[in-house]
Amino acid sequence: MSEQPRVAWWVVDALEGRLARVELEDGQFVDLPLASLPRGVREGDVLRMEEQDGDFTLEIDHEETARRRGEAQAQLDALNRPTSGREIDL
Amino acid sequence: MRGLFALGILTLGLTEAAPLTLRFLDVGQGDAILITSPEGKSVLYDGGRSEPRMQTLLRQYGVQSLDLVAASHGDADHITGLIPAVTLYKPRFFLNNGIAAMTQTWQKLITATQKAGTQGLLARDQVINLGSVKLTVLAPPSGMPKNQQNLNSVGLLVQYGTFRALLTGDSEKEQTAAWLRKYPASTLGPVDVYKSIHHGAANGDTAAWLAAVKPKNVVVSVGPNNYGHPTASALNLYQRAGATVYRTDQQGTVTVTVQPGGKYAITTERQGTVRPAPAATPTPRPQPAPAPVTLPPSSAYYPNCAAARAAGAAPVRVGQPGYGRHLDRDGDGVGCE
Repeated sequence: MSEQPRVAWWVVDALEGRLARVELEDGQFVDLPLASLPRGVREGDVLRMEEQDGDFTLEIDHEETARRRGEAQAQLDALNRPTSGREIDL
Repeated sequence: MRGLFALGILTLGLTEAAPLTLRFLDVGQGDAILITSPEGKSVLYDGGRSEPRMQTLLRQYGVQSLDLVAASHGDADHITGLIPAVTLYKPRFFLNNGIAAMTQTWQKLITATQKAGTQGLLARDQVINLGSVKLTVLAPPSGMPKNQQNLNSVGLLVQYGTFRALLTGDSEKEQTAAWLRKYPASTLGPVDVYKSIHHGAANGDTAAWLAAVKPKNVVVSVGPNNYGHPTASALNLYQRAGATVYRTDQQGTVTVTVQPGGKYAITTERQGTVRPAPAATPTPRPQPAPAPVTLPPSSAYYPNCAAARAAGAAPVRVGQPGYGRHLDRDGDGVGCE
C-alpha cells in the first residue's frame, strides 16, 4: 500500500565547492553534495522534491524559479528608491 | 565660582572624544560587522546566519540604534541576522546589491524591511558619512553575471583619520580583478584592517588583490563548516602579505578601537593566537567524485534529530555525513547533542 507522495519546494542558497547549501521548506538549511542534486543546478534554483515510500526525487522547477525570481526582484526594485546626491549623511 | 568650576569640568569632559569601533562579531560561519562612530551612529554590515545569535550580540554590545544595515550580498549566512536588526532598530537605510535572492530567508528580510519603513539603497559609488566616519561604497563592477550573488558583493571602505578598513563580502576573483581595473591601488590600500573574503575560501582572496589592498591585519569571520573554510591557500596568502591574522572561530568577536586621528588597537573576546598556516600550500590530491545518489542522501541527510537518532548517527559533528545547521541549534558544530 503506497503512501501519498509528499511534494515540497527547496531553494539552492549557494554553491560551496562540492556542496550546495539548500533551504528546506521549513526554512532550515542543509549542505547537500552537488552530486546528489540535478545536473547543472545553480544558486537560486527552486527544486521540486517528491517523496514517496522513503524515496526522494529532485528536479529543478524552472517555471517556479522564474516566477519567484520575478516577484522577488520586482519587490526589491520597489524597495530601492533612488537617492539624490553622491553623499548621504547619517 | 562654583558655576565656573562645573563649567571647567564639563569642558574637560568634552575634549575626550569617543573612539570608532568595528566589531567583527562571532556569528559562527558567516559575516557580521558592527561599526559604531564616535557620535554613536551605527551600521551593521551583514548579519550572520542566525537570528537569535544576532539578537544576543546586539544586546551584548549595547546597541542603541542602527542607522543603516547592509547586505554585502543575498546569501543566508550574511543576511539572516539582519532580520532582527531591521525589526528591532528600524534603520533608515538597507544597502544592497540590487539582486534579489530566492530564499524564504531573503523574503523574510524584505518583509521586515518594508514593515520597518526602511528605505532600500541600491549600492553605487557613493560616500556615506557615519558621523565623522567616512564609508565609501564599492559598488559591484558592471559586467558581473547577475545570477551570482558572490560576484556582486557590495564593498565598504571605512576611513577615520588615517585609519582604513575594507570589507568586501564574498567577492571572487572576477570581481576583485574588475575592481583593480576600476580603482587606483591607492584607493584600495594599504588598509589597517581587512576582512578576509568569503571566510577564507579558496576562490576569494588572490595575491594580486592583496598586493593592492596591502592589509596589515586580516580578520577571518568563520565558524564550524563543511566547506573547509578557512583554506590553507587563503591563510598562506595573508601570511605572505605580512598580515596578522585574527579568527572569530578561535578568538571570538574581534574588536578594533580607533582613536581620533587613526591610532587603533585590536582586542579579541577570547585569549589565544591564531595557529600559523602551513608553510606551503599542499598540492591538492585528486579526490574521487562523490558517488551520485538519487535521493537526498539518507546516509547524509536527516530532516531532524529524531531521524538522526533513529539512524544511530547522533550526535553528528560538522564534517560528518548528515551534519546540517538545522540539527545544530546552538551552532557549536555538534548536532543532536
